[in-house]
Amino acid sequence: MTQTVMECANLWKIYGKIVAVKDVSLEIKEGDIKLIFGPSGSGKSTLAGCLAMLTTPTKGSVFLREECLTEPGVDLNKARARIGFVFQHIWLFHHLTARGNIELGLRRVMKSPKKEARERAMQALREVKMEKWAGHYPAQMSGGQQQRVGIARALAMDPEIIILDEPTSALDPELTGEVIDALRDLAKKGTTMLVISHEMPFAREVADEMIFLDEGMIVERGPPDLFFTNPSSERARKFMARLIKRTRRE
Amino acid sequence: MGLVLGTLLAIGDLYGGKIVSTAIRFYVEFFRGSALIAQAFLFFFGIFRGMLRLELIDPIIVAFIVFTLNSAAYQKGYVKGAMESVYKDQMTAGLSLGLSKPQAIMYIVLPQAMRIMIPGWSNEFSSLAKSTPALLTVGVRDLTAAGRSIASHTFRFVETYAFIGLIYLLWISVVMKILDIIYDKVKLPGIEITA
Repeated sequence: MTQTVMECANLWKIYGKIVAVKDVSLEIKEGDIKLIFGPSGSGKSTLAGCLAMLTTPTKGSVFLREECLTEPGVDLNKARARIGFVFQHIWLFHHLTARGNIELGLRRVMKSPKKEARERAMQALREVKMEKWAGHYPAQMSGGQQQRVGIARALAMDPEIIILDEPTSALDPELTGEVIDALRDLAKKGTTMLVISHEMPFAREVADEMIFLDEGMIVERGPPDLFFTNPSSERARKFMARLIKRTRRE
Repeated sequence: MGLVLGTLLAIGDLYGGKIVSTAIRFYVEFFRGSALIAQAFLFFFGIFRGMLRLELIDPIIVAFIVFTLNSAAYQKGYVKGAMESVYKDQMTAGLSLGLSKPQAIMYIVLPQAMRIMIPGWSNEFSSLAKSTPALLTVGVRDLTAAGRSIASHTFRFVETYAFIGLIYLLWISVVMKILDIIYDKVKLPGIEITA
């Protein structure tokens, strides 16, 4: 039986009067690729942040393997090192080169010796086809290239799961392809991933399960085919119709 | 020294919680709100000679301490401003890799903030360098004081003071130039910082 990598149970995140995440439970097994989508403001990013413990959930629990991360006294730094995170707005460290961005975590968190960190960083850059850009600073790269470095940065830490929060939505349309290709490669290698994305062809191709989120709640979930042929909820149907129309236009 | 202490104060103010940041605010208000001469007086006669009974303390040491504390109060403002301009997302990205908060400050926020604050720092240096005459009050003879005694012995006031002015000018421009060079050296390719 495949093992559960990450799980959340009855997760809530409330900001003042706004309920961003409402009673969400999900389970991600080893090798799973789950895709979360939904209208903007539906709580996707907040949910991703809570799972990575970059945002503290208001209620409910998050598990990484058997360890409960929402209990007091857990070493969150250690837990975060095991969870890869790719940000919508990329957030590379501006003062470091592509390679430096990757080496930082390896050196300071994993305590790898300099030489090993460098080799691992170069290997991660090769995996996203960015090895030629190792010595360049983020400001010298295109958005798509930066995001590929962002993926390599998460990848190099050998995380048990990678959470990607809309990795292509801040990019120009012509740059999304290269990032999607990098993600496709990851999928082929059996990386456990939770992806927030509206790239529907990609979703259909790689996702094991799609989860439709609206107003902080899971409205509908199931295999991609379900969503592409006949979603049962009205909201999901409307949203899918809009997305597919948009994809065709592009 | 002022820079190191100023940086610690900025970190304390930003991440230290309410009590620490209130204490730091008092400190800064005191040193920024009163004259350097008064501070030098207070420390030399009040604290070191009065309270600590160190009759023989070298005024230069006192001068050094007062300058450090005073400059730290100003520099805290520069460092804090620069650190705040490094967006919070840089910190979040660091945490996502498993770095602890102090590590993220050390390896991500400060290196970026220091680059931003070099121009502010050269300001601070030039104003501090010119406030050394205040030290005469506690018996430290700085450049101006030396000039005054030369002038009163030789009666060549204009020449002496002009020469002293020139030395200040040279001293400050050399240091500013060095800071400029450092600033250019550490400037990140592709990013224009307008500070």
